[in-house]
This record gives sequence, structure tokens and C-alpha cells, in this order.
Amino acid sequence: MSVKDLGHAATVTREEQRGQFETRYMRINVGPQHPSTHGVLRLVVDLDGEEIVGIKPQIGYLHTGFEKTMENRTYQQCVTYSNRMDYLHGFSHDLAYVLSVEKLMDARVPERAERIRVALNELNRIASHLVFIGTGLLDMGALTPFFYTMRERETLLDIFELVCGVRMNFGYFRVGGLYRDVPDEFFPAVDQFLETFPKMIVQYERLFAKNDIFVNRLKNIGVLSRETALDWGLTGPSLRASGVPLDFRKAAPYSGYQDYDFDVPTYDAGDALSRMLIRIDEMRESMKIVRQAVDRMEPGPIRDPDRRISLPPRSELENSMEAVIFHFKLVTEGFHPPRGEVYVATESARGELGYYIVSDGGSMPYRVKIRVPSLINLQSLEPACLGGLFADMVVNIASLDPIMGDVDK
Amino acid sequence: MSDKPTDVELAAATKATVDALEPLGGVLSTFKDMVSVTVPKEHVVEAVRLAKENGFEMVSDVFGIDYLTYPGHQGKRFTVVYNMRNPDGTGRLFIRVELDDGETLPTITHLFKAANFMEREVYDMFGVVFEGHPDLRKLLTPEDFEGHPHRKDFPLGETPTLFGEGRFLDPAAFRAGLIGADPGLTGWKGGAAKGITSEQDFGQGAGMEGKESGKP
Repeated sequence: MSVKDLGHAATVTREEQRGQFETRYMRINVGPQHPSTHGVLRLVVDLDGEEIVGIKPQIGYLHTGFEKTMENRTYQQCVTYSNRMDYLHGFSHDLAYVLSVEKLMDARVPERAERIRVALNELNRIASHLVFIGTGLLDMGALTPFFYTMRERETLLDIFELVCGVRMNFGYFRVGGLYRDVPDEFFPAVDQFLETFPKMIVQYERLFAKNDIFVNRLKNIGVLSRETALDWGLTGPSLRASGVPLDFRKAAPYSGYQDYDFDVPTYDAGDALSRMLIRIDEMRESMKIVRQAVDRMEPGPIRDPDRRISLPPRSELENSMEAVIFHFKLVTEGFHPPRGEVYVATESARGELGYYIVSDGGSMPYRVKIRVPSLINLQSLEPACLGGLFADMVVNIASLDPIMGDVDK
Repeated sequence: MSDKPTDVELAAATKATVDALEPLGGVLSTFKDMVSVTVPKEHVVEAVRLAKENGFEMVSDVFGIDYLTYPGHQGKRFTVVYNMRNPDGTGRLFIRVELDDGETLPTITHLFKAANFMEREVYDMFGVVFEGHPDLRKLLTPEDFEGHPHRKDFPLGETPTLFGEGRFLDPAAFRAGLIGADPGLTGWKGGAAKGITSEQDFGQGAGMEGKESGKP
């Protein structure tokens, strides 16, 4: 951007300035290793004094080629990779991936499996929002909330560990169901969490959401109007903070989300404050869904009985030759979905997430295209930051909630 | 898409858009609930604009598919897919364009600012050039990386990866270094695999001299 394009004081040319102070634009580099960039985000920022006149994200530092890797793994093996992109909301990627393959295979997922999926997905959404709030405030210099939010997240990670054996990178969902049923300790742990967590949210609200310093710091910062947000392809809570009630759990329900009673909170201001506060409201809604999902859970199978997809039960392997053959074929070769291309849009903690899978009839996907929300949402950093102060850039990055693993795939 | 078009019931808005795209040479294909329209390359901007006017006002994604090794594929090698949806998220339409290696596509960034990163990713991964794009640079791969990794003929492992500025990594040599068949990149020749303990090798520069020095 040349000096002449920039309006007000900047329209003065070099010649006119001779004898006066000579002003010019400063181009500085932020990141990729910087605590406020939530990973490895590099920004090239053009500054006019303190004001941002140009900002270009430089990404790809975490590019791992998951899509290409998945083309060379069987459908069931890909679950190992999907959750590694968005490491804070891993269940959303697992769910989006298995939903696409299940659509391809016409799999019938048992009701209990769907309830467990929804409960875990929503608990994970709460965990993700907790990190968002904690680190977001950390970026603004508020150290204390980070410890509080991490404390509650720890409880959630313990629940995930009970269920899957790991705290992140779950790989718990399977095409057609789940890896195993939840243990009995899962229910009292969730009950206890749902009982204590509302008090914690009140505590957060007292700590910062109703705090004058916090509110004044974030109010009218990084305003994205409804039109701007839609034009730049923003989705998820950040879009709902700009007044668009788009939520794929409501718009195109999957995994039985149409059966649950929950609201889609929206804010109209579209500033960083709304984007922060909407996450608190979303945690309340997620809790409602978890409560309903756990209450409605009936005992039952957790995998599609279809032998094309699911491994035969362990007990059958001892006395059924056919079961051994199915087991061997599924483990070594995997199943063969019909030829076709599918896409299922889901709502992750960051926005629209979907896997476009091209099948050529083989046991590995021909092409996997992941519509990751963080990558597209990151573009909105430009309209949010332009014309603002440099110090507000950090706030804007935090409030748009990009996860760099999700951005770079 | 599917081998034969099925007679699914299209939603009214989708039907209107598909009808509007027909004069441009749009060919409808459906698979399960997915509705795709393949349009000729020269009409792609017009098709996207028409879809936008008919209610599919958002572009969710733009991505490429390389059909080079797809069994029984006829037609051009690449397909670029525009994943369009309506603002309330209930309807979706896929606009597909087929093109050969070396052919270019016009940009749609003047219609959707969101398409900026999406088109850059297609360029990065497949080498499809979008004419008129304001800032067509690579998005995810390093600046000195050569090639477009999502092409089906891009070498996959066990093949030297060439970076610019003389950086060069040969995975075969790297692996040979790890298993002790060769000094490899680091000079470490895998003593453990040959039964050499660190005590024996200590003081001899950890085997940096060459293959013979670390004999048990």
C-alpha cells in the first residue's frame, strides 16, 4: 500500500514534508513465536504510528499434510488424524469425519452411541471455550482467570481420560459408533461437573465479565458488522457475536441435535467484548445439552451391527470362523464405501467444520478436503484490525479464537 | 459424482438455482442429499454470481480434486469445487468446474472476500492459477518448497524432497543413517543396531570419522 492511498496525514508527500517531520510507515513482524499468537501465527503488520494500516497473516508453520496422509490410510485409521488438527476441540473433528463416512456407508449409529457422542462433543466445547477465555484474558494481561478456567478444564480432561484413556487427541469415535462404551464412573463425574460448573460460570462473570476494566478494554474493539462478517466468511460464535444466528446444530441437525432443547445465543455489537461473552453463554447452552444427553442415555449397543463396518464382538471370534474372517478383513484391508462424494457440515467450537470425502470404491479415501473453521475465520482478522491500534491486535486475535493446528491442517 | 443422476426432490431454492444455471451449460448431478452442478470453465464466475443471487449467498469453501488416478475417470484432470450455502445454513450447492493441467480459472474474490485464502490454498496444493486474484501466493507450504503436494503424481515419501537454496533432504539416506547402513545426514551410523554401546564409542567423536571406526 503506497503512502498516497492512506488518507488524512498520510496524503502529504515526501516533498511537502521536507523541512517538517518525515513520517513513514513501519512494517513489523509479529511471531511466529509469540505468546499472544496462540501457536505459530506470523503477522506482517504495517503501522502508521500506533494505527494498523495493513495486516497480512503468514500461515503454514504447522502444516502437516493431514489431508494427504488420510488419502493413504483406511477409513477407520483416519480417526487417528482428524482430532489432531483442532487439539482443543478434538471431538468435533472426529465427529465431522465419522459423520461423512457414515453418510457414505449409510451406517445406522445406535442411539446410545449418538448420545455419548453429543455429550462428549459438548463437554469438549466447554473445555475449548474455557481455554479461549483463559488464554484470551492472559493476552490482555489478566493472569488470574487462566488458573480458574484451567482448573475446570482439568475436571473435563479427567472425564475424557476416563472415557477414552487419553486427555487430548482422543480417537474415540469409530465409523458406525464408538470404540467402547463409557465406564460407570462417567455418569457421577459428569453429574458432579454439571453441579459445580454453573457456580464457576458465575464466578467468571464476577471476576471479569462484569468487571469495568475488562468491559472498557474490549468494548468497540475490532468491530465486525453483520455484512463484513458474512462477506469475509466468518462462522461460529464469532459470527453469532455479530448478530447472525447461524448454528449448524440447529440449521442442519446431525447426531440427533434436533432432539435437544437449547438456544443459540447472539449478540449484536460484533466487537471483541461480544465475542468473549458469547462463549460464556454457549457454555451454559452446552451444559443443557450434556444434561439432556446423559439423562436420555439408555443401555444398548454402541456400534452399528453392520458387519461391513464394525468388528465382530470379541466373544464370537472363539467359535465363529466367519467372524474371524470379517475381523481379519476389516483390520487388514478395511471396508469399501461405494463411489461418491459427501460433505456434512457440523458446528465446532470455532465454526463450520466439514469433511468433503471423495470415495473411489477403495478402502482408503480418494480425497479428503477439510473445511476448517479457523482458516477461514482468520481472514476476518484484517477487517477487525484495520484502523485500530496495534495493542488491540492481540485482543482481536484472541477474540477470533484461531487454533493454528486447525488453520494449517 | 454418482454414475447416474437420481430423481431426488430438490428444494425450491435449489431447483431455481439449478434452472438458472442450465442455460450456462450446467449439468446437474446428485448423490444422496448432495446437489452438484458442473459448469463449463468460461462460465464459472457467472455461475457463482447466479448462485449468489438465487440465495446461495455464502461460499463455504473452494477446493480442488485431482482425478488423475481415479478409476474409470473420463474428462479433464482437475475439478475445482465451489461449496456454496445459503446464509441460514439449511441449503447447499456445489458448483464444479473441470480443467486440465495448465488451465487457469478466473477469481471470485470480487464476489466473496472469503475466497481469498480458499483460492490461494487451491493454487498451493494443485497449481491452479486464479486470474485476477489480488494476492495469489502459496498459503500453507514453505516458500522454498517446490511442487503442489495434493496432485496425485506428487511423490510420497522415499523420494528426495527438494527445497530451494540448496536445502535437500533424501529420506532414503536419512533412514539409512538411522538403521546404521550409512553415516547418514548426522554422521551417526546407528551403533546401537550393531551392538556398539555408547561406552565403547565414547571419545571417538561418536562415529563421525566414517563407517569403519566404530567396529566392536
